[in-house]
Amino acid sequence: MSGNGAQKQPLLDLRGLSLSFGGLTVIDGLDLHVDEHEIVSVIGPNGAGKTTLFNLITGAYRPDEGDILLDGESLVGLPSHKINQRGVARTFQTLRLFLNMTVKENVMAAQYGHTRSSIVEQMLQLPRARREEREINAFAEEKLGFFGERLMGYRWNQPAYSLSYANRRRLEIARATASRPRILLLDEPAAGMNPVETHEITELIGKLREEGGFTILLIEHDMHVVEGISDRVIALDHGVKIAEGSFDQVATNPRVVEAYLGTSAAVTK
Amino acid sequence: MSTVLAFQLQTWNFFFRELVSGLAVGSLYALIALGYTMVYGVLKLLNFAHGDVYMVGAYIGFFVLNALGSPLSPVMPIVPLILLAFAASMVGCGLLGVVVERFAYRPLRNAPRIAPLISAIGVSFFLQQTAVLLWSPNPRSYDTFSLHPGSSGIGELFHTAFTIGNFSIQYVQLVVILSTIALMIGLSLFVWKTRTGKAMRAVSFDAEASSMMGIDVDRVITVTFLIGSALAGAAGVMTGLIYQQLNPYMGFGAGLKAFTAAVVGGIGNIGGAVLGGLLIGLTETFTVGYLSSQFSDLILYSILVVFMLFRSTGIRGAPVLQKV
Amino acid sequence: MSTESPSQQPATSPQIGVDEWVQRSGERIAGPGGLLRLADRTPPVLLLAAFIGIACAVPLLTSNGYVIGVDADTLLYVLLAIGLNVAVGWAGILDLGYVVFYGFAAYLFAELSSAHYDIHWATWQTVPLVVAATVLLGFVLALPSRRLNGDYLAIVMLFFLQMFNNFTTNGYAWNWLGLSGSHDVTGGPTGVTNIDPFRIFGHVMGPGPRDYVFVTAAGIFVVAILFHYVNRSRTGRAWRALREDPLAAEMMGIPVKWLSLLAVAVGAGVAGFAGSVNGAYYQGVFPDTFMFPLLITVYAMVILGGAGSLGGVVFGAVVVNVLLEILRTPDHARWVFYAAMILGLLAKLRPWRLLGALVAGVAVFGVVAHEIVGAVWARGVGGPIATGPTSFTTHGFWATLIRHWMVLPKNTYTAEDYRIGNYAFVIVIVLVLACTALKGWKRWALLVPTIWGACFVWETVLIEQNPVVRPLFLGVILIVLMATRPAGLFGKTRVEIV
Repeated sequence: MSGNGAQKQPLLDLRGLSLSFGGLTVIDGLDLHVDEHEIVSVIGPNGAGKTTLFNLITGAYRPDEGDILLDGESLVGLPSHKINQRGVARTFQTLRLFLNMTVKENVMAAQYGHTRSSIVEQMLQLPRARREEREINAFAEEKLGFFGERLMGYRWNQPAYSLSYANRRRLEIARATASRPRILLLDEPAAGMNPVETHEITELIGKLREEGGFTILLIEHDMHVVEGISDRVIALDHGVKIAEGSFDQVATNPRVVEAYLGTSAAVTK
Repeated sequence: MSTVLAFQLQTWNFFFRELVSGLAVGSLYALIALGYTMVYGVLKLLNFAHGDVYMVGAYIGFFVLNALGSPLSPVMPIVPLILLAFAASMVGCGLLGVVVERFAYRPLRNAPRIAPLISAIGVSFFLQQTAVLLWSPNPRSYDTFSLHPGSSGIGELFHTAFTIGNFSIQYVQLVVILSTIALMIGLSLFVWKTRTGKAMRAVSFDAEASSMMGIDVDRVITVTFLIGSALAGAAGVMTGLIYQQLNPYMGFGAGLKAFTAAVVGGIGNIGGAVLGGLLIGLTETFTVGYLSSQFSDLILYSILVVFMLFRSTGIRGAPVLQKV
Repeated sequence: MSTESPSQQPATSPQIGVDEWVQRSGERIAGPGGLLRLADRTPPVLLLAAFIGIACAVPLLTSNGYVIGVDADTLLYVLLAIGLNVAVGWAGILDLGYVVFYGFAAYLFAELSSAHYDIHWATWQTVPLVVAATVLLGFVLALPSRRLNGDYLAIVMLFFLQMFNNFTTNGYAWNWLGLSGSHDVTGGPTGVTNIDPFRIFGHVMGPGPRDYVFVTAAGIFVVAILFHYVNRSRTGRAWRALREDPLAAEMMGIPVKWLSLLAVAVGAGVAGFAGSVNGAYYQGVFPDTFMFPLLITVYAMVILGGAGSLGGVVFGAVVVNVLLEILRTPDHARWVFYAAMILGLLAKLRPWRLLGALVAGVAVFGVVAHEIVGAVWARGVGGPIATGPTSFTTHGFWATLIRHWMVLPKNTYTAEDYRIGNYAFVIVIVLVLACTALKGWKRWALLVPTIWGACFVWETVLIEQNPVVRPLFLGVILIVLMATRPAGLFGKTRVEIV
């Protein structure tokens, strides 16, 4: 609330969001906002409710209370594909590619919401269907080109399952960007990557903002990534926001240290 | 005045008769549903062949009764004879279930989810056609010989056990309902009290984690199929006793209804399966009795569609969260 | 599609990296055979044209009504398989209600063009109407997919099949649940007969299968091309995405629920056309046609060929239907049986020495069994060889071979001797299962009595029981394919979790 100027509306605004499963409160009265062009990281120990937060924003779960606003319009109650078409795209911590489709098809499939041709037009290959097909083909190639040589060339027509782990992560990001979002939700993009790849993905996230113009909300455990790119860091524990600010502020916040290390642990960094 | 009373008496008699026979049919569905619900709980597989295992059970019972209990001069007294039929059918079906699991489902443990279901449909069709081949497509009937009091043979089963007012019940119905309850209690005890039962619950919660904790998942699945199929075998013999008629196609419809019972009761839930079975048995009986016998399938299955749509998380089940 | 070559990559030298290795290993696992590779390289339009050409050539080359009839039936099945493939192969929905659409269309066509209601509309009116109505029914019956998925949805679709069967069988006395007088909707068990044939531009089609070969072939040609384009467009991609991972698809902006409805409805449309042809071609619709066995037949076709591959399902439909036809005649069936067994051994058995030993073992086993049975139980040998109307195996070399190698009881078809075959059938199944469970030399040793036993069961029971053997064969196709090659003959082997 402190830095949030009233004159400028945040791109994504969560207000008093709560969700519980049975008796277990997973998200508890969470306020969170992401401004246009910002990179915000969400950190917190396992089970803090980070992925649940993404599931709420993308409509997989429906909040018990509170509201989710994208550019001032509520997303609550919309089906997930509508939320995506409004401009929210995500990647998955566990990787959910369309494994048996080719690399390019993965990216093209994500543009479904931005094409209009009907099935009859496609059957008869009428002009609109063909034009759209050309467009999304070019767009997919452009999005894959964003990743340098990693996803280029012969890899386009390979099935996604043939990609290496790191490239699958890249492809998930490419697929998410292909659905033309305004805000990207990245769920642990550096998980399972080696230091070189982690470094690369950190640079990529920066590039996504600078060149792609995306706003990014990020869940990450790797503090090097978080430190390197975040404008703002939010720490969650048990579904409650326990700290917010710059990386240094949050990292030294005693409540955050406690959440990660337990009450009586000595703070040795 | 008296005609109205007589009419009412008539309708109440009819109602009670339908109620009792609905409960009996429901018990059969419940027994079959237990197999569905256990297998689905452990393996997340719709064991489509389960209905046909039940059909095989009915035939096994038929052959035992025919071989040992010819209607006029049964080799042995009626109670052990029937117990023997039950035992043979339950053992035979249990083994059949284990074999089906071992050869048709186990190779597909890591296949796409659609594969074991298709395989199950194939097994179902195969069993059905094998029955046609071995035992001919014509219906057979349990020779219950005579429904007249005083004659020997299984006919004794059809004597009225007791009557309270308008409410009367046959021995056979009583046997079916009581043994269903007994089997359900036994099964519950097994699942909740024994080591194997606990392993079963663990596997149905998370098979991978269970195997890492040292549970032999394959063995648990085998036991599950053994028990579930044995129960279906018992249901098969009971069907023969109640309806006499059996044919190779009887497993198909019964299987569909029993699976719905398992879903309605909350999949994986033993008590729920029994409740669901009774609910569907009553629905079916009253549909035939009061609405239409000709279009009973049409009506019943439309009701089942509604059940599936609105009770797919079950009477007692909790909504299942999507894992993202 | 991607006409531009992968440009802006100066170095095209094969880099050694993880991806290539994974890709190669995937290829190694999938291992496409030569036939598959050939089919892959030929342009699909050429394959389709060749298929249609051959199908249409049959009635021009022969005047044998039976052969033309099989041709027409096969084409009808091809059409059905192409329709089912949309939901099952592309969108990954187990559409067990598919036969309802076929039956509904056939009945609707029948009632709009027969004396049943005394309506005789023209073909250009009925066929579009029937197709449209069937598509609509597809949307309606797929509605449960909004709340259910996977097995539950499949079961509900099967409920619709049960309801449809109940309605058509008893629909001769439909009475709106007692609220109206009873009247005849479906003709009941005897169905609706004397249906008008197709009339196109004044030309009356049929009677007889000849004209319907052309009609159905034309339908296949059009439908296959339309579907080919859909498959390559946004809808086809979205279907595949939802088959791969519905949740991820939904979150990537794909309206999964709508696309599920669409997949079932589009498939239903094809069944709608096929149903109309069915009504006109057979000139009668009967409730027994549209039941579970037909569903299994079409599924076996789609799955054998390879769900998801248009060429595959066409191939599957042809193979399955032709085999089912051949099984009708004992004489022909025998050739298929032995050929299939030998081909199976050739494909699976290596090295050759082992194969030779096995064949020798089976031969010796048979002769010895023949002699022993002959010595112990004279009536057990010398029985007749089952034959069809065009017998050529009762005499001559093959017959002598079978006589001396096989145990053929006399009076096979008395009730008592039936049982021998029945027990043998069960024993052979147990042996087959044991063979799949055993490893090493035990398996090879067990294969000898298994193969001989299978031949015995074949000669004494199955060959004469084609009404049962045909469905048994379908069930076996489903089970064996799922266990050995779930992708079918021409489908791409799919990778689930890596």
